Amino acid sequence: MSVHEQFADDLSLYALGALLGEERLAVVKHLQDCPDCRHELARLQGDLALLALSASGPKPPLRSRERLMAAMAREPRRIPGRFMKRKAWWTAMEWAAAAAAVVMIVLLLHQNTDLQRRVAALDAHSTEQHKQLLEAKDLIATLTSSDAVHFTLVAAKTPPQPQGKAVYLRSTGTLVFLASNMPELPPQKTYELWLIPTSGAPIPAGLFRPDPHGSAALINPPLPTGVEAKTFAITIEPAAGSAAPTSTPIMVGS
Amino acid sequence: MVSPDALLVSAICSGDEQAMEQLYERYSAIVYSVALRILGDTGAAEDILQEVFMQLWRSPDTFDATRGSLPGWLAVITRNRAIDSLRRRRPESDITDVVVSIEPDLVGSTEMIRALEKIRGALGQMPAAQRSALEMAFFEGLTHTEIAEKAGEPLGTIKTRIRAGLLTLRKAFHP
Repeated sequence: MSVHEQFADDLSLYALGALLGEERLAVVKHLQDCPDCRHELARLQGDLALLALSASGPKPPLRSRERLMAAMAREPRRIPGRFMKRKAWWTAMEWAAAAAAVVMIVLLLHQNTDLQRRVAALDAHSTEQHKQLLEAKDLIATLTSSDAVHFTLVAAKTPPQPQGKAVYLRSTGTLVFLASNMPELPPQKTYELWLIPTSGAPIPAGLFRPDPHGSAALINPPLPTGVEAKTFAITIEPAAGSAAPTSTPIMVGS
Repeated sequence: MVSPDALLVSAICSGDEQAMEQLYERYSAIVYSVALRILGDTGAAEDILQEVFMQLWRSPDTFDATRGSLPGWLAVITRNRAIDSLRRRRPESDITDVVVSIEPDLVGSTEMIRALEKIRGALGQMPAAQRSALEMAFFEGLTHTEIAEKAGEPLGTIKTRIRAGLLTLRKAFHP
């Protein structure tokens, strides 16, 4: 439980009835919305009760008891017989209550059916989304898995060449990049992909090292949205990558 | 489990005078003592005692046993009524709003004596300025502004002392 610190002192004063004006209104308003502070207020009332008990001492004089009993005897008592006289009135009330209950049940049943229909629709929608999510996960796993075998098809009798294919969606800044036949790199080096905008400096679009077969993939590296790409390029950079290219690109998009 | 107090209040709801007498036997001393401490006048304290118990007789359902202890509730509403009387103002506090969460079981006389020892012990160990601020606010019904003027201390200091004093009392039962 956490009592809001800005109300902590004022809650004590509120419990004591010592808070006035705007300060009091602010606490009343806060209490309406804050169960923790309502709980703390009840505890503070308990603390005040302990303080009150410290005054415990003298018993009241006997006449106080007699005075109370006399006053109670003068007050109308709530005995069952009094309810009997009101039977007709109660019966009418009971019928009205029963009728209201029936109307309420019908309304609730109607609401229930409507809610069930909505739940079923949401359920179907959720299932469909789940299916799409699984498909997307499979696709990403296929693209990024080290077990996946990449085949690059080229004209017959042509020696394999390093290749990269970038698919870029400007409006969302989404990028899928696949590379194949990439030469192996020394351990302290990495390949870095660059988005070359139509204007301005190259933007880093991810680091990659090819697998033993020379394949690599970059799925959705962090990129700003809305940047128009003139092309993509690859450079060889130190293992930690660079904020700007430090070498001549070894591959550039056509 | 339903507390013995809750059973008595339930009987009072059905107009059981004997249940009312039992509650009076059990708690009239608390109500009277609190009123007397605040008002300093036996006649005025008897009036508050009468008022509080007649309120319970007329509207026993204003006490909800699930929301607190009966002796704690009686002590707090007695204090509020006595302060209203002291300041010669109409009753301001709505007793249905009073929820009293109190830790010690005060139903038996042994439990009550033990609780009293703890409370008085905690008050005795409290710094004098803290205890004074707390008692002025509670038993004299002074506002924090009035206490600050009387003590010649900043308003914030008085607010903090009052809260700290109450928390010290609470800690006596939650060491």
